[in-house]
Amino acid sequence: MIINHPLLGPRDAAEFVYLGDASLMDRPDGMTASDEEMHDYMYLRDNPAGEHRELWYHEQGDRSWLVVTRNTLTHEITMVELARDVARSRGRSK
Amino acid sequence: MASLTPAPPLGGYDMTFGELRLRECSELALVSLALPLGDEAAAKKAIKSSLKLDLPAPGMSAVNDTHRLIRMGPDQAMLIFADDAALAEPAVQTALKGACYTTNQTDAWVALSLAGPGVRDVLERLCPLDLHDATFPVDAAARTVMEHMGAMIVREEQDGFVLLSASSSAGSFLHAVETSIGYVT
Repeated sequence: MIINHPLLGPRDAAEFVYLGDASLMDRPDGMTASDEEMHDYMYLRDNPAGEHRELWYHEQGDRSWLVVTRNTLTHEITMVELARDVARSRGRSK
Repeated sequence: MASLTPAPPLGGYDMTFGELRLRECSELALVSLALPLGDEAAAKKAIKSSLKLDLPAPGMSAVNDTHRLIRMGPDQAMLIFADDAALAEPAVQTALKGACYTTNQTDAWVALSLAGPGVRDVLERLCPLDLHDATFPVDAAARTVMEHMGAMIVREEQDGFVLLSASSSAGSFLHAVETSIGYVT
């Protein structure tokens, strides 16, 4: 599988490490969130048969985190974004 | 007190295979630069004024007579130059006046220069990247994996590459390169 890195171009998936659902980026504030919110963040994931947004880490490359949109049925990758750009587009500072 | 002599990881290896030359670049010092979040513009300015180099785009390197600056990613770069390793990092830190975070990397890496006609035939058996002129021109640089070892590759000239890998596995890395050379010579 090839991941088309937005800065470095197409790279083999062997250079990357998979983390999981991109919703992991949206951690609730641990000081104010309820137990239920933290529980849902920690343990509940969607398991879609189709398009899935997920986090990949370019460990053997520039060590960037990517948000990869991948179809879990076909493994077709339709979009690759830098996770920092995704976070900033949601108003986060880093 | 014991007197210790510094030794390069491969003992100054230098061999030719036909027209190909494989050589350990034991004279190189490596210093990594990290651009501080929010102060990237100041860091670029300091690099420009002290090293006389423009910070290149990720995947490329910039070069002058003495230094090569490789942009590894959005916030990180590696500076490679011939210098006394022990003094390299403080000198860079002083020259940049603290505009980047610097780390001495010299002893962590082994550098191999591989040059000669057909060098890409050797590397296509070793390196997963497309090294064609159109996608990996002179001065292009990348981190990747070769034979399961993390490695950096820099195209210094049309038929000359520098390969860098961990000094702790320098012998295995050399073996991988030698084996690959053996397939084509």
